[in-house]
Amino acid sequence: MTTAVTQPDMTREEVDLPTLPQGIGHLTRGWGVFVAIALAVVGFGTYAFMYQQSEGEIVTGLRNVGTMGGAPWGLYVAFLVYFVGVSFAGITIAALIRLFNLQALRPLARMAELLTVVSLVLASIAILADLGQPLRGIVNLFRYARPQSPFFGTFVLVISGYLFASLVYLYLGSRRDAAIMARESTRLQGLHSFVAAGYTDTPAERDRHERATFWLALAILPMLIVAHSTLGFVFGLQIGRPGWFSALQAPAFVVLAGVSGIGLLIVLAAVVRSVCDERDTLDEYVFAWLGRFLAVLTIAYLYFVLTELLTSTYAAGGREADVTDAILTGRYAWIFWGSTILFVVSLAGLLTQLLTKRWNIGTLVAIGIAVNLAAIGKRFLIVVPSQTDGMLLPYETGSYTPTWVEYGVVLGLIALGALAIAVFMKLIPIVELPEEVEADAS
Amino acid sequence: MTKYTMVVDLDRCQGCRACMEACKIENNTTEGVFWMYVFRLEEGEYPNTQQTYLPRPCQHCDNAPCVKVCPVGARYKREDGLVLTDFDRCIGCRYCELACPYGVNYFNWGKPEKQHYGEWDDPDLQAVTGGANPPWSNPDLARPHGDEQRMVAGGGHHKGVMEKCTFCVHLVERGELPACVVTCPVQALRFGNTDDPETPVSRFIREHGHFRLLDELGTEPRVVYVGGQPPSDEVHEIELVHAGVER
Repeated sequence: MTTAVTQPDMTREEVDLPTLPQGIGHLTRGWGVFVAIALAVVGFGTYAFMYQQSEGEIVTGLRNVGTMGGAPWGLYVAFLVYFVGVSFAGITIAALIRLFNLQALRPLARMAELLTVVSLVLASIAILADLGQPLRGIVNLFRYARPQSPFFGTFVLVISGYLFASLVYLYLGSRRDAAIMARESTRLQGLHSFVAAGYTDTPAERDRHERATFWLALAILPMLIVAHSTLGFVFGLQIGRPGWFSALQAPAFVVLAGVSGIGLLIVLAAVVRSVCDERDTLDEYVFAWLGRFLAVLTIAYLYFVLTELLTSTYAAGGREADVTDAILTGRYAWIFWGSTILFVVSLAGLLTQLLTKRWNIGTLVAIGIAVNLAAIGKRFLIVVPSQTDGMLLPYETGSYTPTWVEYGVVLGLIALGALAIAVFMKLIPIVELPEEVEADAS
Repeated sequence: MTKYTMVVDLDRCQGCRACMEACKIENNTTEGVFWMYVFRLEEGEYPNTQQTYLPRPCQHCDNAPCVKVCPVGARYKREDGLVLTDFDRCIGCRYCELACPYGVNYFNWGKPEKQHYGEWDDPDLQAVTGGANPPWSNPDLARPHGDEQRMVAGGGHHKGVMEKCTFCVHLVERGELPACVVTCPVQALRFGNTDDPETPVSRFIREHGHFRLLDELGTEPRVVYVGGQPPSDEVHEIELVHAGVER
């Protein structure tokens, strides 16, 4: 299929337009159905969001702590944290490939970068959904930015710095492929020349391109650790909230971010493999590498969970113990144990495949979905129980149940992410065009 | 220099909650919002039970966790000790509410004009009010206050922003006492300048044993409790105000 790029006369059938690789520009029926469903869900989410904007957050299940016995942060913040977490894997893998020159993993780089950019955009929309005054937020967060607030890290570093750097990174990579594809006269030629923006992939340009992406990758890695840590600090620095105040929050955030991100990347890679017919490039080696990485991160995360659990059950008293009780045996127990079981079963599945050296892509996809469900559960448990059960003054225990508005917005966000990836796949190669093509073309 | 401090005399407080009522009227706070709240607490098992009361205004901490976390500087500490919310700048992220260990922050979940007390759509009431909008906010308070000239007083209940006790900044600035202090029928609440050691409030604190709520967190509250003890882990709340907001 790659030959079509350089030798348009070798297309399978005589058509007016040359065929682009990976089904780009070619809309299939399945794709249309998928996009229609995603659009419908996005529409529902938009309706819920606008309804909330007009009525106020009274239409959500969120309420004040204390006398109202509620939780001011709920699903929106849990998913904000989850989305930022997912972004971790993308850019990490893309940067690792570039820095250590892992050629066999190169087919993963583009979709990993895309996953990062899309999930960061979703995270910033989740923040807006959570704010009582979103429009004022966009202005004031920059106009009156206070670096002393842990939110500075989330808003300014994560959303602006990290998202911007990832966007540039994704663009630089896409530009090369767009330049190659712009040589064909297709309906998308205009778009591809626009994206290429004068880049023509000559050896000198490619050399400069390689250097620029290498240094950008090097710069993104520390930014990534800082960004994910500051999100942990949003919770970890609060002495007045039992269950949050912990030095483990920041490192645990980074590791769980890796688990959920790699899990989702496995799912995305499997989808691309079958949809774009990339069985040769996204081979078993790539999935085995992801599986091993996921196993290591899952072990590290379970270690953090165990450490936290020992500290809070052995040493804690008072309200700290109340929060732990609510999570371990109380109303939140099903989420905690459900997530933990999903993690342990996933780890068992990964270790079995690791030891037998036989990697099954279907099983890996199931594991990828399982660890993501577990990660969502854990994010919820970080955010909510410390609000409902963690008041230091003798208030009654609170409760929080999300409403359809919150579910609607969150589902809409997930659908928006899927939609963005689906559209991207039809415009720019989601798997980097292989080296041979480059060589032929130049 | 003036540094305002509130003193709560727990030996005098009888838990009548008149201060809560006074606060609501003075600041026109909406449904389910209690800038001042009085815990009615019970400890022990029948027949050896003991009831205590604990008024809880905003503690106006000198090392306020809510001020530290505000991403836009809407929550700020004034020279005179007051911790205030600029409702014109607040973006409604509610981080202050979660940083505060005392639970004194109230978010405007809905439209304030819909969240006030009473069935104002009732035709009988409409006949009396002439269809006029009942007082869910006081336009007299919706003006800038203090040297910084910021919108902080009780006049502004706006959808999607945070609010809390202001120590009645609009009254204090013209030399009057906060509404809760004036209303208390047994003078359990005192208010004044503690920067000068010879004011009545300074002397009262000096002459009595006192504590501050959750002092161990290092928040350095400007509300001082005299008489009684900090609430123990054993107390539970009775006759609590089940007040939420519904759409």
